[in-house]
Amino acid sequence: MIDCDVHCAPASLETLAPYLSDYWREYTATAGIRLVGMANAYPPGAPTSGEAVPSDYDTLCKRVLETDSPRHVVLNCLTICEAHRNPYYQAALASALNDWMRDEFLARDSRLRASMVVSTVDPDDAVAEVERLGDDPRFVQILLPIRTDAPYGNRRYHRLFAAAEEHNLALGLHAWGRAGHAPTTSGYTLSYLEDYVSNQTIAQTHVVSLVSEGVFDRMPDLRVALMECGFAWLPALLWRFDKDWKGVWREVPWVKERPSVYVRRHVRATTAPTHLPTDQPAHVRELIDMVGAELLMHASDYPHNHGASAGALYELLTETAREDVRDANAAAFYGLDPAPGGEVR
Amino acid sequence: MRVVVAPLDEFPPDSRRIVRVGGREIGVFRVDDRFYAVRNRCPHQGGPLCIGRIFSRIVSEQPGEFELDAGPPLLVCPWHGWQYDVATGQSYSRGDPRVKSYGVSVASGSELVAGPHVVETYPVTVTEQYVVLDA
Amino acid sequence: MSVVQTTPETPTEVPRSVSLVDCDIHPTLTHPELLKRIAGRWRRHLERFGRRTPMITEFYPRTANAGFRLDSWPEAPGGFPGSDLGLLRTQLLDEFGIDYGILNCLGLLSCHEVPALAAEITRVLNDWMLEWMDEEPRLVGALVVPYEYPDLAVREIERRASDPRWVQVILPDSAEDPLGSRKYWPIYEAAVAHGLPVAVHTAGYWPHLDTGWPSYYLEEHVANSMRMQSQLTNFICEGTFDALPGLRLVVTEAGVSWSAPLAWSLDSAWELLRDDSPPIDRRPSEIVREHVWFTTQPIEEPDDPSEFAQVVQHAGLDDRLLFATDYPHWDFDSPTQALPRSLSDQQRHKILAGNACALYGLPLSARA
Repeated sequence: MIDCDVHCAPASLETLAPYLSDYWREYTATAGIRLVGMANAYPPGAPTSGEAVPSDYDTLCKRVLETDSPRHVVLNCLTICEAHRNPYYQAALASALNDWMRDEFLARDSRLRASMVVSTVDPDDAVAEVERLGDDPRFVQILLPIRTDAPYGNRRYHRLFAAAEEHNLALGLHAWGRAGHAPTTSGYTLSYLEDYVSNQTIAQTHVVSLVSEGVFDRMPDLRVALMECGFAWLPALLWRFDKDWKGVWREVPWVKERPSVYVRRHVRATTAPTHLPTDQPAHVRELIDMVGAELLMHASDYPHNHGASAGALYELLTETAREDVRDANAAAFYGLDPAPGGEVR
Repeated sequence: MRVVVAPLDEFPPDSRRIVRVGGREIGVFRVDDRFYAVRNRCPHQGGPLCIGRIFSRIVSEQPGEFELDAGPPLLVCPWHGWQYDVATGQSYSRGDPRVKSYGVSVASGSELVAGPHVVETYPVTVTEQYVVLDA
Repeated sequence: MSVVQTTPETPTEVPRSVSLVDCDIHPTLTHPELLKRIAGRWRRHLERFGRRTPMITEFYPRTANAGFRLDSWPEAPGGFPGSDLGLLRTQLLDEFGIDYGILNCLGLLSCHEVPALAAEITRVLNDWMLEWMDEEPRLVGALVVPYEYPDLAVREIERRASDPRWVQVILPDSAEDPLGSRKYWPIYEAAVAHGLPVAVHTAGYWPHLDTGWPSYYLEEHVANSMRMQSQLTNFICEGTFDALPGLRLVVTEAGVSWSAPLAWSLDSAWELLRDDSPPIDRRPSEIVREHVWFTTQPIEEPDDPSEFAQVVQHAGLDDRLLFATDYPHWDFDSPTQALPRSLSDQQRHKILAGNACALYGLPLSARA
């Protein structure tokens, strides 16, 4: 089994001190910056947030590696999302987080992989970080939080994606991101419930953008993982997107095939949250068939808790599909060794 | 059946006519010096395809490239904008049903008078040239 | 020569079944026509300063025949698709045998104007639509209201609602506040009090952007479905339906197939997070089934049409789908072609007429 989304985060800025310059240590102290653990996205008391995010290897071992025995884990550190708009702080923090992850986790366990943290405000700084660490095979993708300033197909990101492609890094689009302007096209969300379910519509905006802006035409080897964004919305989106493209393709003539072809070729989604009912097996089976189990990659999303529906998903998959979702799809996607007895895809 | 659509000199470049043949409407197009004909009914939802615009194909390898291609142009349905190769009737989106396409040629009046039988929409003179639809 | 006087025959009124209701037709009052009808003080204002907000078409030009069926442009000069009642009759109502058509006017997509101007624009639009309804009995109307000013919107509803040809109140899918907000509740209250559903229609000015500006009309058009998903989510999460138990919402021109996955995700989230939102005391999917209708256009077209029938079942939409053409827009759905063959005859009848007659109180038999 490969777990494609496990969270880690430094417990405090003290943890990062060795990885930050004197200036940034002074800056964070003077500004009273504390790492508040993405409290907006994962309120500590919310049932969906689960327990504390592992901040050291031993905790990760106890809570994930020893309990679930995954062959590989992809670690995601969302701490960068708490950073502010100072581009230099962003860049420094990103490097610090990556260096910390390497020392604390990646160096200690060959099962571990990670999303490389990059600046979320400046694509050139993000490129610099990719150039710095891109040859380290333990980074399998770059972390791209979905709440950001422009949809990810936007041209400003293309040079970052080119660097990612060159270094064989996938794009890891992850739920949440910077708090700030209204998260949805309707406006501000007044409840956590509404905010929580909004990740899936925001993810759709990015999928549409990536295809429409020709990201996959420009970078044909690029792969995209949607993490913690759900997936049940995919069929309806792709039906609509294909139909709209047929009428409007002249606006985006580089999109030479139906959008759904691009998405199926380049995009995968993790299974947490599943967001499917547990009491309608026939309907869920039909929905999974529409999505296609080949698009799904297992994730625990530890420590987050999205309810019982993930279990229901696995019960309804065929045995082959279950194996694929739990391991082979991710092994192929991230270029990991296949499971013993598994085929090389 | 062969249908005389019009005398050649009454069918200027970049013009079109819609012809009724039996129960069908067929659009005949002239693009520069080439003629094309397709059924005036979009396979998608039945729209009047042949009143749609004719556009060049676009070659675009990369985002931001917009090169107009000189090959057989595309007929764009006036409703949903689905696009068809006017020469073959094939949908731009492969996998979607094609629209029926027909042969169009230019024939002299003497050939037409000689036969086989053609449907004449008006008198044919042996010295003139005519646009002939093979429906 | 003698002149024979004849009296015109009174047509025999033969009741027959209503078989086709078009729940989304877009009439257009052209700007010059609006200026002729608007009060002098506001005409001068518009002539000097124009509208404050650009149309969404200035952000995303409609790269598909400027947004309209190419054959819907009236021949008379100064005409615009949807501006000519005669053409609408022949090209739509007569062509397809439509028994009733709902006029959804998009003349006030953005309400960011001085309140009195916004109110005056809606008065002009509603008065004008009444002229069409007077002339064409098959047409019924959606009330346009100055929605950012709920007191003025309520006033417009109160003024008009006694005319049974107004069958709903219409709002666009983006506004200053999320549409489920308390701010707009007085409007919904007035609609409910008069037995009028509230239609939320695709389009708007986009004061909020989720993750930033897309570049292309293609993206904006696909996002019509995501924007409506956000609004419906908001109606549920703000407890709007619990506060207004009589509210009936018509999701218009946003597609249909996303309904079950959205409701499922809300159910799943609500199970865990229901303490966060006290007004939601039952499953969101139940709320949707009780309060929400969906117009069909632009109907999704999966390669396998049986999948469309499946998603209708997943969401329990048999009694909730309302056929719509969206005439004269380019993504118009043909009444004879758009519904997939995978739907049963009974489903087709409900979608094409039965559900709309039930929702809007339209008589199921019409004059011949």
